[in-house]
Amino acid sequence: MPARPRGAMLAIEAVNLTKVFGGFRAVDGVTLRVEEGVIFGLLGPNGAGKTTTIRMILGLLKPTSGYVRVYGIDVERDRRSVLRITGYMPQHFSLYEDLTVEENMRLYASLYGLGRGDAEERIRELMDEFMLRDFRGRLAGKLSGGTKQRLALAVALLHRPRLLVVDEPTAGVDPPLRRYFWGKFRELKERGVTILVTTHYMDEAENCDRIALMSRGRVAAEGSPLEIKRLAYGGDIIELVTAGDPRPALDGLAASVLEFEGDGSYSRVRLLVPDASEALVPLTRELEGRGVRVVRAYQVPLSLEEAFIRLTSRG
Amino acid sequence: MGALAALIVKDVKQLLRDPRSLVMILLMPMAVMAMFVAGYGEERSSIPIVVVNLDGGPVSWRLIELLRSSGDFRVVAYAPTAEAGVELVRRGAAYAALVIPPGFSESVVRGRSTRVVTVLDASYATVSELVWQAAVFVVQSFMKAASEEYGTFYIDVERQTVYGPKVSSVDSFTSTIMGVLLHLVPMSLIAVSISRERERKTFEQLIMTPLSSWQIVVGKFVAYALVTIADMVATFGFAVYVLGVRVAGPLPALVTVSLLLLLCSLGLGLLISAVSRNQLQAYQAAIFFFIPSMLFSGFFMPVEMLSPAAQAVGRLLPLYYFLRAFRSIQLRGWGLQDVAGEVTALALETAAFLAAAVRMLRLRVE
Repeated sequence: MPARPRGAMLAIEAVNLTKVFGGFRAVDGVTLRVEEGVIFGLLGPNGAGKTTTIRMILGLLKPTSGYVRVYGIDVERDRRSVLRITGYMPQHFSLYEDLTVEENMRLYASLYGLGRGDAEERIRELMDEFMLRDFRGRLAGKLSGGTKQRLALAVALLHRPRLLVVDEPTAGVDPPLRRYFWGKFRELKERGVTILVTTHYMDEAENCDRIALMSRGRVAAEGSPLEIKRLAYGGDIIELVTAGDPRPALDGLAASVLEFEGDGSYSRVRLLVPDASEALVPLTRELEGRGVRVVRAYQVPLSLEEAFIRLTSRG
Repeated sequence: MGALAALIVKDVKQLLRDPRSLVMILLMPMAVMAMFVAGYGEERSSIPIVVVNLDGGPVSWRLIELLRSSGDFRVVAYAPTAEAGVELVRRGAAYAALVIPPGFSESVVRGRSTRVVTVLDASYATVSELVWQAAVFVVQSFMKAASEEYGTFYIDVERQTVYGPKVSSVDSFTSTIMGVLLHLVPMSLIAVSISRERERKTFEQLIMTPLSSWQIVVGKFVAYALVTIADMVATFGFAVYVLGVRVAGPLPALVTVSLLLLLCSLGLGLLISAVSRNQLQAYQAAIFFFIPSMLFSGFFMPVEMLSPAAQAVGRLLPLYYFLRAFRSIQLRGWGLQDVAGEVTALALETAAFLAAAVRMLRLRVE
């Protein structure tokens, strides 16, 4: 995980957000700190409170308690200043289906206060970037799902926001487009845009610099994908295939046995270590030094999905 | 048959489980009936008239006493001359003037035939008919009662009109039709505008731009005004040039008053839109609001004749001011300056509705 740069500005500071609908606590004391220039993923199953959380961050919902600052600006007090630097792509297509692609883009360029020349230039740029030129005269309602998504993202970026908030951009989207979107997010990050993205696809979250796992209205865990996995398992997992049983030789080493399988001549053993990249080579050497022949040694790739289930089923 | 029965059961269940439909089914008829009884029930007010007693004798006062105790009339003024009495009717202070000629008492006592004159405001056709019938009835009752004392005599009831002699039903219902068209149509049209954006989720994207509430409200107001004004002009043209509706006063004044009602209806519709959560709610609210408008604004009967409570409600309704102003211009030939009060009321209500809509509109998705 990249070390936190000293004094990095917080793009989002959401503190102790709670939202109660009727008697239901949809979001319950969520605190998020998103540093400038990262892709921050908000993960969790449907109904975990992700959308409610980002709607509070954007001032679309009033928190029952807690507060939000975007680039230091209090959302409750000065929402309009926040909106000028924030782009938002909602979960459902929310542009005007009875306007054309170009009309939607022009409308939003005006609503964001772009000057005439600037708007022209920006629309041209975004049409090229998001392959919308061929559809410019088509009604937005008549577009395919993927094109709608591209249009929605283009509109969210019209006013060159510093913060982009994207709610479930890849729900119901085919794999090539999902990949395209994550490519775009990385590009935007390169250009200095901070991105807050929600998803319930755990595999996608590997693309994020940091993630927060949400479950039943709370943040169950937060960190880089690697940290989350280590948190879930208590470390990394490495697998060794050895001749004979290596377990006696593991005494005194910083590794604990999770699984063992042996047929007398060869064994397969899964070990939990604090850090696989540091431990793999020394551990193998140490075992060989103790007379165990290591046939293969590798780090077991862990899925975030598995980590999520472990983290949320505990409490 | 089994399938059909199942379908019927399912629909009845759905209706009963939807609280909004239930409100429509149960509350609406009760509310309408309650409003109707409150406005038109026993407590109904009497018709304001002017009495011109040129006789001054004891018999004339007995007639006036009978008139007052009949409960149909309320004497709002006693005018010294017939001209003054007619002028009060012309100005709309009363719906009729009853003129008792000089020598009336003497004629009755001497058993001669005499007359009373009712001067009716023809621009309110239904009311003038009511006044006429009631006046004839009162005079007949008087003849019957007084004949025991004074012997036989005869009183003829003479009918005169101002703004008459008779207004055709097309002319007299034009204000009502225009009122419905310019009130209900724009109001229900714009009432669903914001909630439709909420339902289609476009509102969520819209309020992510640095727009303020007043921009959203004024934007919708102007857009809907432009479209519905075209509609109004077409309706007007049809009424005046195709149906040949008579317009006694200046046409621009009539158009101004109609335009004001249109704008006022849009303002009210926007207020409904700002507070409604969805289209159905907004639509129902618009219809619900239209019912008292229909009952208490002078649609069927002049507001002065309703119960005091209904009158108070009536005076809050834009349609009340519109109907008064429109009728005065169309049937009485008044100009805009003569309906300045109504015009001001409509303009103020429009401003108030718009201000309230801006105040109530929440730029949130809750």
